[in-house]
Amino acid sequence: MTVLTVNGVNQVVDAPGDTRLLWVIREHLRLTGTKFGCGLGLCGACTVHLNGEAVRSCQVEISDAEGAKITTIEGLNGGQGGHPVQQAWLELQVPQCGYCQSGQMMNAAAFLSSNPSPTDSEIVEAQQGNICRCITYNRIKTAIKRASEIMQGA
Amino acid sequence: MTKHIKKIGNLSRRQVLVGSAAGAGLVIGYSILPHAVDSASKAIAAGNWDHQQYLTMDADGKAYVYVTKCEIGQHVGTALAQAVAEELEINWDDVNVIYPDSHAKWGLMITGGSWSVNWTFDRNSRIGASARIALIEAGAKMLGAAPNNCTAKNSKVISDDGRSVSYKDILSKTTIDRTFSEEEMKSIKLKSFGEYSIVGQSKLPFDLPGKIDGSAVYGSDVFVPNMVYGIPVPNPVRWGAIPQSVDESDAKKIDGYVGSYVEKNGFARINTGYVVAFGETVWAAMNAAKALKIKWDLGENKSVSSEDIRNESVKLQQDPSSGFLWVLEGDTDKAMDNAATKHKAVYETSIAYHGCHEPMNCTAYEKDGIWHLHGGNQWASMAQPTAAAALGVEADKVVCHQYLAGTGFGRRTEPDNFVLAAQCSKHLEGRPVKLLFTREQDMQFDFHRTPTYQVVEGGSEFGRMTAMNHDVVAGWSTKRAAPGFMPDSVDKKGKVDQFSTNGSDHWYDIPNHKVRSINNELSDKALPVGFLRAVAPSWTFWAVESFMDEMAKKAGEDPLAFRIAHLNARGKNAGSPPNSVGGANRLKNALLVAAGRAGYGVKPLGENEGMGIACVSSQERGSPTWTACVAEVKVDPNSGDLTIKKVTVAMDVGTAVNPEGVKKQIEGSTLHGISLALYEDMTMKNGSIEQTNYDTWTPMRLDQAPEVETIIIQNGHYPAGTGEPATTVVAPAIANAIENAVGARVRSIPMTPEKIKSALREA
Repeated sequence: MTVLTVNGVNQVVDAPGDTRLLWVIREHLRLTGTKFGCGLGLCGACTVHLNGEAVRSCQVEISDAEGAKITTIEGLNGGQGGHPVQQAWLELQVPQCGYCQSGQMMNAAAFLSSNPSPTDSEIVEAQQGNICRCITYNRIKTAIKRASEIMQGA
Repeated sequence: MTKHIKKIGNLSRRQVLVGSAAGAGLVIGYSILPHAVDSASKAIAAGNWDHQQYLTMDADGKAYVYVTKCEIGQHVGTALAQAVAEELEINWDDVNVIYPDSHAKWGLMITGGSWSVNWTFDRNSRIGASARIALIEAGAKMLGAAPNNCTAKNSKVISDDGRSVSYKDILSKTTIDRTFSEEEMKSIKLKSFGEYSIVGQSKLPFDLPGKIDGSAVYGSDVFVPNMVYGIPVPNPVRWGAIPQSVDESDAKKIDGYVGSYVEKNGFARINTGYVVAFGETVWAAMNAAKALKIKWDLGENKSVSSEDIRNESVKLQQDPSSGFLWVLEGDTDKAMDNAATKHKAVYETSIAYHGCHEPMNCTAYEKDGIWHLHGGNQWASMAQPTAAAALGVEADKVVCHQYLAGTGFGRRTEPDNFVLAAQCSKHLEGRPVKLLFTREQDMQFDFHRTPTYQVVEGGSEFGRMTAMNHDVVAGWSTKRAAPGFMPDSVDKKGKVDQFSTNGSDHWYDIPNHKVRSINNELSDKALPVGFLRAVAPSWTFWAVESFMDEMAKKAGEDPLAFRIAHLNARGKNAGSPPNSVGGANRLKNALLVAAGRAGYGVKPLGENEGMGIACVSSQERGSPTWTACVAEVKVDPNSGDLTIKKVTVAMDVGTAVNPEGVKKQIEGSTLHGISLALYEDMTMKNGSIEQTNYDTWTPMRLDQAPEVETIIIQNGHYPAGTGEPATTVVAPAIANAIENAVGARVRSIPMTPEKIKSALREA
């Protein structure tokens, strides 16, 4: 048994310790906003926060996540929704198919918390690992800037 | 010349019934069984409404628009609901959408071809209008007024003396029973461009908020009690391998291993044979898929490579007896003999992968004699009967349930994942199975875009093209997936796959024009090939629009002026209503708009920089979306590295039902086109796709996305499809820009730095 703290709730999970966190989040806990894309940490669709850091949950073994504070898209902003990143994503109508967007927003939210006023090149570098197959990249870049403004009360 | 899929579900010999039972709301739809029911309200009272039900309203006055399409990122339901709501005169807040289960009554349930809005706008407008008329008649009665003295606005019927009754009051207090004949439906006067208040507004897509808070439900998010997970084991060869024996000894050591499904006979729409591992958890199933030791018969394609497919194409093209004619006008041989300027070039495209970010999946189970298949699906009219055939049941014993899809691009027109999930569940005696493709499975067992090989030859005199010969060699996806859709060739010698050839029947005025369409059966057999966003126009316009630039330069003409000289709305290029009205003039206009906005030929450019133009009429000649592009590039002549500085796309869509939605489709499809043109290489070796995951294949990444300026041209003509056309216009614009920048002509997609360097050496 592994105890995981997901979105502030302790969850007892009956799964082998090497099970990847992604599958426990999605298929055991049914928090399906987190997506599978590649299983190799190459696309970012499965991005969640581990103690506030963006991680690729398809690469994290649950035994290593025990005791950590895990946050998924459903728990962003204390589970209230409306995180500045989500506000910006809605304002700019970023998603098309939407499949990658939870991972994009989780990645962007962690990035902005450590760098609230990023430059364009810092945004590119931070978000580079997240694939969007609808190729909404230009709206993603704009939305990250907009989220930064919202965070600063603009 | 061009044949395209006959529209199914249009108005023909049918009545529209608009009916309600007091307090139960309203149902509006086509009666496809006119003799079974003589009145809508009777049918509702009897509970046997079994018609194409395109709109319902509840007793609170809320409207539900039925959308028989798949949401693959285009927000199609929102646009289709806007068409209904506009004529219904309902408050937009009272509108929602429903995606019904598959059923024969819906006719063709397909999402593709940029057809959705184009095929459905008029019908949905009339559905909304018929409901409005029925509501006005009922409301007028309640007000004691004549219907002619009443209008509808903002979910109310209003009499000319200012009294009103809400849709909610009408639907909760009275009964409606109204039948519209086919003639009456056709004669309803719809609003025209300029009178719209909901159409033309960028309404927030219904599917968007759930994609921001994580609540959106995709096919892979389905849960069914007692389900097991199924993970396919990748075959060692793309097509033709058959499992001989399976050693489960290691898999059995995995906690949660359920067993495996070993199919030695295969099924035509899936593969020649396959193995699926089952687990109580997805982790157990994934580990089991790796632990199963399988002996395979590799089959006849075990040594096929990309080079073999290309060599076959070259051989076929050189054989004058190959192929069938798609276009034959005038006498190209004679015109070529007489031409003052002649040019010939070969254009190629590589194998391409759909790369849906949500890998293929389906959850299947049997309950009370009905097989339920859950997942995002672009062609339920194919998946449903195909799964039924595989299961050995009647088609009406299978129901496909629609979900959001993490992109589609035509991949989800294939029924393989639905049929395989159904077979897995049958193998487990009806126990629910959630079948998930890994990325490796999805990448290698795609129905890939065929590699293509095209030879274009042209002749000109006095700055005008007199002849064009165009040979298109490709795998034929329609021959495999829907042979019944293939039209006769123009010489009546056989059938042609229009979805491997269209686009070559372009709108340029060239009096002698011949297109030969040649099927590369090795490509069909070894890959096999499918439909990837924009399909044939992605390669035919790559050739035509590259060639027009080359021909212009050969003739000493400016490429923009040269194109314009050949775009004349006369004869076969005059166009016809509703879709192609305006003809070549609209393409000319789009070209001028794009060139003007981008500053083609005017804007100062630096060293090794260039602009290139292209224009297309994708998708089909019968349903063109007039699209033009200017690409601005910089080339490093030493490394061959290419930087796309900016892309400008002008698209004449006639009427933009949801302008922001159109803009997003243009942005995404333009960048998808660039990704295909520059980055998405895929190769076959030993019958297998060499790339396996995003480490060996990747679409465009964020740092590679250039600025895209979109210009939506609206002129009130009928709405054109916008999901695909821009995909087809960018590659030739980029190749033309590269030549203008550094004098190198690249004729092979993807245009890698190596190919650019090689072209520079030849320049």
